[in-house]
Amino acid sequence: MTRPAEVKVREGATPGTRYAEFEVGAKMGEVTFTITPDIIEEYIRAVEGDEKLYVVDGRKAAPPDVLCPYMTSTLYQKYPPIQGIIMCEVAFNYHHPIWRDETTEIRLSGEVTEKFEKKHHKFIKWKGRYRRADGVLLAEVENTFDLPE
Amino acid sequence: MAKHGKLTHTVRMTQDKIDRYGKLNGDWDILHYDHEYCIQRGFRGTLAHGMHNMAPAVDLGLEKYGRDFYYNGRVSVRWTGPVCPGDDQVTVLDEEDNIVGRVDAGEKSTVMIGKSTLRGR
Repeated sequence: MTRPAEVKVREGATPGTRYAEFEVGAKMGEVTFTITPDIIEEYIRAVEGDEKLYVVDGRKAAPPDVLCPYMTSTLYQKYPPIQGIIMCEVAFNYHHPIWRDETTEIRLSGEVTEKFEKKHHKFIKWKGRYRRADGVLLAEVENTFDLPE
Repeated sequence: MAKHGKLTHTVRMTQDKIDRYGKLNGDWDILHYDHEYCIQRGFRGTLAHGMHNMAPAVDLGLEKYGRDFYYNGRVSVRWTGPVCPGDDQVTVLDEEDNIVGRVDAGEKSTVMIGKSTLRGR
């Protein structure tokens, strides 16, 4: 089992990345983690998920958003976070379930796609892809956040 | 087969729940635990994690579309306001797949807008 904290740089652990340091087009390194039945159960408890919804063709699946806690791992590996980041937007496209009765090795990679300033705020936009170790695409994510500087 | 009609999900936010999600998420941003800092930045209190607030939008998409949501689902949200301890977050998925999350906080009552739908719909 990989807990999200094991693959994410903690806010405040380093000086963190300023707006000027983000580079559009920069590829972020691939992060590998495993999602286990234990972490899925913990996630469902944390979000008070509705158990009856997580079934696909009679087989128990994880809530698709179990991927959320790992989302920033690839970003923060390349660009360690400063304190006070505010998430503005996110979109997930789901492609395949994660099964609840097995351990799944997942690889997350991505790149910065845009940086812009608006109303005295500074924003970073990036995309990522979650794939199983065998290459099956599980989900794509697009995220925009506000840097407090 | 998709469900029809408006679907609603209600959840009460507490600091314990924020802490529990933070422990799992590994996100220790000061916004999620330091009440005084949040007040100084103009918020009503500590902030629940945005992804935590989004979870009902995913469940509503699953409730409406079932297995298709696992293979062809898309959830997109923009957070427009904070969810703080003591708030009841009410999330609604309407007939056109629009998502709106609200709390009872006066002018800033809308906390999340977006879609929970199938791609290409």
